[in-house]
Amino acid sequence: MRILALVKQVADTYSERKLSDSDHTLDREGAEAVIDEINERAVEQALLLKEANDGSEVVVVSMGPDRATDAIRKALSMGADSAVHLSDEAIHGSCAVQTAKALTKLIGTVDGWDMVIAGNSASDGQIGAVPAMIAELLGVPSLTHANELSVEGTTVKAKRETDEGVTHLTAELPVVVSIGEKSNEPRYPSFKGIMAAKKKPVQTLDLAGAGIDASEVGLANALTTVVSASPKPPKQAGEKVTDEGDGGAKIAEFLVGQKLI
Amino acid sequence: MAALSLRHTFLPTDTFGSDERRLVEEFVDEQIRPLATELDETERFPRELYTELAKIGMFGVTVPTDLGGTGATPLDYLFLMEGLSYGYSSVADQCGLVEMVGSLLAAFGTAEQHERYLRPLLAYERPCAYALTEAESGSDLGSISTRAVRDGDDWLLSGEKIYIHNAPVADFALVLAVTDPEKGKRGGISVFVVDLEQAGVTRAYHEHKMGQRASQVGGLVFDRVRLPSDALLGEEGKAFGYMMEVLAKGRLGIAGLALGISRAALAAAVQQAADRTQFGAPIGANQAISFPLATAVTELRAATALAADAAHALGSGADDAAVLCSMAKLTASEGAVRHADVAVQTFGGSGFIRGYEVERLYRDARITRIYEGTSEMQRLIISRALLPRTR
Repeated sequence: MRILALVKQVADTYSERKLSDSDHTLDREGAEAVIDEINERAVEQALLLKEANDGSEVVVVSMGPDRATDAIRKALSMGADSAVHLSDEAIHGSCAVQTAKALTKLIGTVDGWDMVIAGNSASDGQIGAVPAMIAELLGVPSLTHANELSVEGTTVKAKRETDEGVTHLTAELPVVVSIGEKSNEPRYPSFKGIMAAKKKPVQTLDLAGAGIDASEVGLANALTTVVSASPKPPKQAGEKVTDEGDGGAKIAEFLVGQKLI
Repeated sequence: MAALSLRHTFLPTDTFGSDERRLVEEFVDEQIRPLATELDETERFPRELYTELAKIGMFGVTVPTDLGGTGATPLDYLFLMEGLSYGYSSVADQCGLVEMVGSLLAAFGTAEQHERYLRPLLAYERPCAYALTEAESGSDLGSISTRAVRDGDDWLLSGEKIYIHNAPVADFALVLAVTDPEKGKRGGISVFVVDLEQAGVTRAYHEHKMGQRASQVGGLVFDRVRLPSDALLGEEGKAFGYMMEVLAKGRLGIAGLALGISRAALAAAVQQAADRTQFGAPIGANQAISFPLATAVTELRAATALAADAAHALGSGADDAAVLCSMAKLTASEGAVRHADVAVQTFGGSGFIRGYEVERLYRDARITRIYEGTSEMQRLIISRALLPRTR
């Protein structure tokens, strides 16, 4: 089985993230760039399937600036076998639809894949629609928000848990799967894995190489644009409760008022 | 002026690049630091954590890759020990123990011993112990009384070892024993690889220590334990030379461990000096607080440079490597004790309270001046190198 794991490099959620003043796209200089945590889970899921199915391989698929190679290398050091990377200045500012179209073209450059695994939502854009869009564009089933995944023969089974209950999804390969936060705990790379990753093949393509026309991507052609952005308002001062013997009751009242208890 | 941060180690690395360095930091921050208080409090042996370390390749970093190690250099090992100890020194000490036993098995073991002991040790399927110390034999290694006597093709091992790291949990131990009392330490002492789950072996007691409390320490008693001839590691009578061979690496490791304690203590103290307000200003605004920290961080930086120097010397096989490792161990361990003290003083009353990191570090630091050769033994080694003709 050939499994493609979609990987995106994002600004570390622990650092201060902001949009650039000029075009309201992500200010990539301002924050440390890391592999998105949900994508580490996607890679882990791909590796678990690889380990359970002899003769499988995991290919990392990524779109982003040159420095996204750091995120790709992390996925390779975890155990993925190879990578394809779409890197072209013209993709800067692409919207979700353009991203899905470009990734679909990029996926098309990989021969004979059986499954695409993505995170259900990137921590920067938080749109959460790209995996389903890719499935639509590829014309294959879309199993989104999976927390458990298994493959038997050519049948894929996924479990999606929500507040309302558990949904069991079944489809035939090839499929696109997006996985949720609770799907797994990603492994740490090993020292040997890091060394090995340096020798694994990474194919870097520009737009032409991936068969993408420049008019299909980029801020100028995006279907959605950020019109304005303002920083988060500063935290309001909290409500002080003075304990005059009834502090417990006052806190309980406050929490009930906030619908927290 | 650029801000001086203790967030990252000052140590360089050889074969470890930025990815390996980031991996160690992430693992320490996510998996070790959050556990340290609980492990100290409960004296628990975190076997599951050690299995994770093994998966990453942190056990046996200088052991060649074809024997299951990572094939890194002494400088990389120093970096790893410092980083792990910044998280919790007991974890670093486990790494140091595996490194020593692993190095001995790799260098002097047979192919069969590599398969039976070394590989399972590096995968942490078989925890080990390193049984040297006896009641009457500490720094004076030549005075051990544990005996191995020939019995046909076998050996019969009898004696008592104390203060043995991992004795309560180990699966096997390297045991130092006299095989020829006539010859003394040069020619008369041998090392045996001993499975501990067998008749005649008793795990005598479990010590409760001042610091590094997650490290399991106890005694091992051997009562006519029958060992096959292939339990001998290397050649009969060569143990003293073997020990000397790995001693420098052991001391370098403890230097790294001590540097990690210093950095953790000073990082906490600097944070406290910036955050804690008294008389309307951060306490760090007072030179009474900030100058001891400035001195300590300068000492830490110097000790780090010395340790890196020693690691380079050991890696390149330089003549003065052993003396440099003694200097590095002496400087880093004495520094760790001083710096943990400065940190406690910076915290004031809180620094004396259980649950505060610096209180633990103050206790954890103290043993670094004692184990793997006391400060006094290190000074003896350095002075003998300095004044060879006065002996």
